[in-house]
Amino acid sequence: MDDRELDELFTDPAHHEVVDLLKASRPATPPLDPNFRLHLRAQLMAEARKTLTPRASRSWFPFNLTPSVLAPAMAAVAAGFIVVLGIEIYLANRPTGSPVAVVSPINNKTNVATAEPIEIKFSGPVDKAAVEETVQIEPATSVTKQWVGNTLVIVPNHPLAPNTTYTVTLKPKAAAASANPGNPTSTPKPAVAPTPVVVHFTTVRAPAPPVVPPSFRSAGVTYGFDSRLADSGKILAATWTPAGQLLVTRPGGLPGPATLPSQSPTATAFGSAPTTDVWLMSPIGTPVRLVAPGGNFPAAAPSGGLFSVWRQLQGNQATLEVRDLQGNLVSTVATVDGVPDRPAVWIGPDRLAYVDQGVLRLVGLHSPVVAATLKVDHDGSLAASPNGQFLAVQSTTGSVVLDLTPSTTRRLPDGATGFAWSSKGDLAFTIQRDKGTDLYVVADGKTSRIASGPSGQAWSDLNWAPDAASLLFAARPTEGINTMSVLMLVNRDGSNPIRFGPEREYSAPQWSPSGDLVLFTRRDEAGGNAFWTATSAPSGNDAAEQEALAEVEKFMQARIHGDTSTAQDALDDAGRAAYQAGASSLFSPAGTQFNRYYPVTVQLTGSNPNKFLVGVRIFIAKSGVETSFFEEQLSLTLQAQRYLVDGVKASDTMALGHGPTVVSVQILQAPPGQQVRVRFDADLKPDSVSGDTIQVKDASGQLMAARVSFDPDKHLAIVNVRLRPGTYQLVVTRGVTDINGAPLAQEYSAPLVISR
Amino acid sequence: MPDRFEERELVERAKLDPDAFGALYDRYFPQIYRFAYSRVRDQSLAEDVTSEVFFKALKNIKRYTYSGHPFSSWLYQITLNAVADHYRGAAAKEVELEEGASLPSSEPTVVDEVVRRDRSRRVWSAIDQLPKHQRAAMVLKFGEDRKIEEIAQILGKSSGAVKLLLHRGVERLRRELPPEFELGTP
Repeated sequence: MDDRELDELFTDPAHHEVVDLLKASRPATPPLDPNFRLHLRAQLMAEARKTLTPRASRSWFPFNLTPSVLAPAMAAVAAGFIVVLGIEIYLANRPTGSPVAVVSPINNKTNVATAEPIEIKFSGPVDKAAVEETVQIEPATSVTKQWVGNTLVIVPNHPLAPNTTYTVTLKPKAAAASANPGNPTSTPKPAVAPTPVVVHFTTVRAPAPPVVPPSFRSAGVTYGFDSRLADSGKILAATWTPAGQLLVTRPGGLPGPATLPSQSPTATAFGSAPTTDVWLMSPIGTPVRLVAPGGNFPAAAPSGGLFSVWRQLQGNQATLEVRDLQGNLVSTVATVDGVPDRPAVWIGPDRLAYVDQGVLRLVGLHSPVVAATLKVDHDGSLAASPNGQFLAVQSTTGSVVLDLTPSTTRRLPDGATGFAWSSKGDLAFTIQRDKGTDLYVVADGKTSRIASGPSGQAWSDLNWAPDAASLLFAARPTEGINTMSVLMLVNRDGSNPIRFGPEREYSAPQWSPSGDLVLFTRRDEAGGNAFWTATSAPSGNDAAEQEALAEVEKFMQARIHGDTSTAQDALDDAGRAAYQAGASSLFSPAGTQFNRYYPVTVQLTGSNPNKFLVGVRIFIAKSGVETSFFEEQLSLTLQAQRYLVDGVKASDTMALGHGPTVVSVQILQAPPGQQVRVRFDADLKPDSVSGDTIQVKDASGQLMAARVSFDPDKHLAIVNVRLRPGTYQLVVTRGVTDINGAPLAQEYSAPLVISR
Repeated sequence: MPDRFEERELVERAKLDPDAFGALYDRYFPQIYRFAYSRVRDQSLAEDVTSEVFFKALKNIKRYTYSGHPFSSWLYQITLNAVADHYRGAAAKEVELEEGASLPSSEPTVVDEVVRRDRSRRVWSAIDQLPKHQRAAMVLKFGEDRKIEEIAQILGKSSGAVKLLLHRGVERLRRELPPEFELGTP
């Protein structure tokens, strides 16, 4: 809100009180049927396809202005999409003999969100079992299929991969099912299509990968626009999963996607007592599936697609369950007396800490855990480091950090609370003083006070950015009539504290794992806390990367649109020579077209002058259908205040649709080594992802020692290595297979540059 | 707030590209529905109005030209017209108070709620009782964070007139809310 406008308008203190109250609250959330929004969208899109002229050209679009800005923003907008795949299916054997056609054709849809259910609508009755059997999705994707009337709702078991074209195929049955000759009263079953129905859609373009080595990406991010997680009804609590979905606690009995009748929220799981359910939701609040009927206080495991949740039992007892994100019970790890009032805390991927009658307990998924008895302060803070080695506890005798490996204890300053661990293992906490709040960071064994709040202000709700470069927290006045809390953003060294977002009632910020969204709560009109997400955008701190990527965007769009002069303008002499020498093709071969591209990786290879190596994947289409892709490693160097392409290497062309592929490669500094994160487009067989199939080699081809782990929920292989500065090669062999056993489409290799 | 330039680019695309129009819908549905509901206070009517707004927007988007104001201002204008059309068409009358009239003491919306609702809810309930132009200005300013200039464009009034509406609205809330309503205390 622009306060200056209001300040100028309202000078009377009596008016200020009303204005402050209005600023601190929101009007009532109107009741909204989520199906109405989807239904209206489907109607509008059908109408739009009839009335809007297909885009013929982008001649009005100035290449040098917006594409790099537009892409992530469009991706964020597209997060609101529910995929409604229009298909045409003719039922050859209906009793009436007339074909039943279909509904809302929306084939070739782009910018499809990765975490939304897919709906396939049929205009008439179909043999549901037969249709279900024939549905195939490429790249291989494990899904759950449910029916709502004549609509098939396909819920991917894991979020889809970004930047990926998916193909949904309904294959024909050999023959239409006929009436049972032994039962003259039976009616013929409708059958599926006599010819295959194939629908393509492409998921959102992911934000540009972070530059390597990482820059201070989150420092000074700016608040974008916000949206309320309101369409799904009341939300009591929410927390991110590592894959960027939300574990949401809702009042028991609320409906799911498209009000699926098969879902069974358990409002009466424990007699008539009011209860809650835990749902998996998309980042915009679309329910994906019910994962813990009757559950409360969920906590997502740092990896492995698991979460813990409390379930109240009859007889004043509660159990601590571990479930997977499909909702399957994996293990019941503890039973306590009373009603839990906080989530358990994951300590690495296989241990949990929880509080039982004020006493800290540790439990392992696979083996018992021995820990010293420690009483936790009422409402005391409890947080584990990401590597599972440390546990910060606000105990009744003071705040400590337990080192669980050698089982030692380190005392923190008196009053330390509000613990938050960064992805790099730094611990932040606050101490409330008489004259405000002090903010501390413990890094490399050293405790530093990095910032102090002004008198009359309390800081709380610390939350690290995913890159560990900055912290968000809530600042609330402790004096005066205005108790409205605002969000603040500060660099990890205490520099550049700024307010994040408008002056409104904000609290409990939580960065999404990718850092592009912030989940927060805002005081609602009814006095409760409504959940919102806000987009965030990097500031000028990443200016070099942004400038380089903007040049790549201009260069690539020129190639896609056949703009020779603009494409040539992005090359220096060496770059032009490289293309002329056949290192790659500047434009698509005859009969084909470059359809789209996206950056796979961005690496900073030199800083004086700045040099970047940008890997781009370019998709080739024939007759409008993408059939293959190849990758280029573009070398860009800052020359006369502009980045120019001065070198290129191209991979072989790979056909699409013949097995899983690598969609992105990121290198993160993970002292004392590095972490290479390789993301795939398909659900993989976990045992096919190993050090045998994903390798890092040095310049002479020597295999480097590496430890490979796999997160099936994110199709993500994590390769931990310790590399000295130099150039290496990542190799992913065809030993990697998808869940159907199909091997990697083609062996994949990409350079890894370790510059420091 | 979305970047203005990016929004303009998206709107231009939406004149030709259904998917871009869908993106506009995704972006603006929540605020338009919320605003429609604030005017009609009925879920079914709010749905009708919202449908009408977006279908009208689709029909006329090719004629939309950027005027320096956010695209949402245009949608808000359509919403106001759709609400007015509805009340004309239904031969019903929006509950309306004359400027200067007191909030109706017989209405339970304020006084009764003083007892059982928190202060935030009360003040927004009171806004519901304001004359329609005051109410629209207050909702757009405090509920939707619009700038005065944008509100002026949406309502078809001058910035000065909008300031007067806001000033009168706030003054009226201050004056009309009951003594038990102690501003500034929880």
